Amino acid sequence: MQRQVALIKQSLFDQGYLDEQFMELEELQDDANPNFVEEVSALYFKDSARLINNIDQALERGSFDFNRLDSYMHQFKGSSTSIGASKVKAECTKFREYCRAGNAEGCLRTFHQLKKEHSTLRKKLEHYFQLARQAGPKETARRPK
Amino acid sequence: MTVEQNFEALDQFPVGMRVLAVDDDQTCLKILETLLRRCHYHVTTTNQAQKALELLRENKNKFDLVISDVDMPDMDGFKLLELVGLEMDLPVIMLSVHSDPKYVMKGVTHGACDYLLKPVRIEELKNIWQHVVRSKSRGSNNNNVGEKRDGSGNEGGGNSDQNNGRANRKRKDQYNEEEDEERDDNDDSSAQKKQRVVWTVELHKKFVAAVNQLGYEKAMPKKILDLMNVEKLTRENVASHLQKFRLYLKRISGVTNQQAIMANSDLHFLQMTSSLNGLDGFHHRPTPVGSGQFHGGTPGMRPFPSNGILGRLNSPSGIGVRNLSSPPAGMFLQNQNDLGKFHHVSSLPLNHSDGGNILQGLPMPLEFDQLQANNNNNIRNMNNNNKSIAGSSMAFPTFSTQQNSLIRAPNNNLVVLEGHPQASPSGFPGHQINKRVEHWSNAVSSSNLPPPQTSNSIHHQFNVSPLPHARPDPLEWNNVSSSYSIPFCDSAASTLSPPALDTTNPGAFSRNTDFDSNANGQPGVFYDSLQMRQSGNYGPTTDAAMLSSNPKEGFVVGQQKLQSGGFMVADAGSLDDIVNSTMKQEQSQGELSGGDMGYGGFSSLRTCI
Repeated sequence: MQRQVALIKQSLFDQGYLDEQFMELEELQDDANPNFVEEVSALYFKDSARLINNIDQALERGSFDFNRLDSYMHQFKGSSTSIGASKVKAECTKFREYCRAGNAEGCLRTFHQLKKEHSTLRKKLEHYFQLARQAGPKETARRPK
Repeated sequence: MTVEQNFEALDQFPVGMRVLAVDDDQTCLKILETLLRRCHYHVTTTNQAQKALELLRENKNKFDLVISDVDMPDMDGFKLLELVGLEMDLPVIMLSVHSDPKYVMKGVTHGACDYLLKPVRIEELKNIWQHVVRSKSRGSNNNNVGEKRDGSGNEGGGNSDQNNGRANRKRKDQYNEEEDEERDDNDDSSAQKKQRVVWTVELHKKFVAAVNQLGYEKAMPKKILDLMNVEKLTRENVASHLQKFRLYLKRISGVTNQQAIMANSDLHFLQMTSSLNGLDGFHHRPTPVGSGQFHGGTPGMRPFPSNGILGRLNSPSGIGVRNLSSPPAGMFLQNQNDLGKFHHVSSLPLNHSDGGNILQGLPMPLEFDQLQANNNNNIRNMNNNNKSIAGSSMAFPTFSTQQNSLIRAPNNNLVVLEGHPQASPSGFPGHQINKRVEHWSNAVSSSNLPPPQTSNSIHHQFNVSPLPHARPDPLEWNNVSSSYSIPFCDSAASTLSPPALDTTNPGAFSRNTDFDSNANGQPGVFYDSLQMRQSGNYGPTTDAAMLSSNPKEGFVVGQQKLQSGGFMVADAGSLDDIVNSTMKQEQSQGELSGGDMGYGGFSSLRTCI
């Protein structure tokens, strides 16, 4: 089981969904903080969901306030970086470039892509954590509320 | 927490260091918190800057360090940084995803003691406690008004430039309040924190000997330190001393040649000093003073934002500095003729028996440097001249020792002085200066940047920096004997209570005495600045102009001086007295008026230098 978990994790890295930062987070996890990574991930997804919502609304409004969008994305990028979500981060960067270029079309496209990556990552991580929990202490335990 | 307490707690430090983490992003905040906890710090988090401020204001001693994100919705991270720095004087570390140098620069200029990029790694966080220690050391110095300045100068060297920014603010406030008298106290208090190095005559002699041995151009703090083989002397101490020495030398050479040139030199010097002080984070300007001149020629010279710094330097007393900086005209460097000037300078009757000689010698070296800047060959010349100077250098050494004390005060000055006497001026190694600059900046910032002095205000500003009067211009430097001591003071002035370089402290600087005597001989300017007494014959106009033109510069100078003051402090004790007395004299005398430069500018210069 643990091996399976490890494999999944490895694939996440290989596929570029996660980067070294995630590993750093894992290192921070210890007995005192057994669910750290999961907690952080949960936080991240909660936060980013909110951000995505905001951006969605802003884009739907049709008026492209690039500055605002850029600052949202900046935040998004910040948290994605902290957690090691590299693909998401890459999309964020692209999005910001389009913002700076004033390319609304590009922004929309990128954002769509970003949402996709984001949900993919979310699913994968959830799966991963679930397995990890099942696998036992090594991967830490209960899903935090 | 009092400083003492802090020190007591140092036993376990950095364990248990209390950190306040601010970041609007919950994910990042959580990660940061965990990282910090892993480093065994005590962490408090908040995702709102306002809340953070409240927490901090609630009890200023509640936290040791603040880490804050740059982009926050309710308040700009830089603004928070400023406020924290000003109100609580706590070290603040900035965090951001942006690695853009502009942001980093902004952080630095707003007083951040570090700037980290997200994602933050634990290794980076493991070292942040150093900022707390540094800040506390500096802080206590600052608090001791005047006293600590000297120490701060030393510390400043070690501190990052960022700290300087913060320190500068504090210094400014404190500086005004502080007087030279206070410096004496510093000695005691500094003992607690940082071992403030007192550049005694002996020590300075060693320093000079080491520099000579290595070759002026090649003299590097590390090597000098090794050669000197003095216990408890750090590279930073040597570096800042060297810087001052160099500056001094430059100044001297500049001054002797021409007032005009000197005016420029002063600027340079001042710039250097000011830059060093890290005016606005100019730390990198290590060799501002001479560099101006030197830079022209010497590639090594650091990119001294001479313009800015010089401006500063010049304004205050620009005199001394100017000379240094102005060189371009090749006043010094360009022309061999100038060398002659130096010679001439040397002939200046430095009243001080020692100082006089030194000065003479010094100017030469300075000039040579300049020349060197222009032409490497010049340096050779200088070397030749050095011979003549050597004679004087001999004097210089003594002088230097004396100066040491003096120099210390003006940090800047000291460096100059030492650098020259023996080293072939040619090489005013920019890089070295750079280091100094850093120290300087640190010192300056810490020392006391007296609020930017306007030409008028310089006068009183001078109080802060010992040099003020000396500063006014290189001319003053030329006055050498007197100026010498003062020049240092100038830079140090800001930091150090202007050591009485000017002359009152006969003990402190041989130079001082010279001043008195020299005052007459030398273009008034020189003395003025240094002596304070003499109002800048020096080039009062220049100084004045300088001063008025750039209060900032003055500030810088002052700062530097302060820093050096810190240095000198040890010796500066006497210096301080001298400076103080001189300053007072000046103030009362209103000599500055004469040259403005002399003193008035000086005060402002103080900072610069």
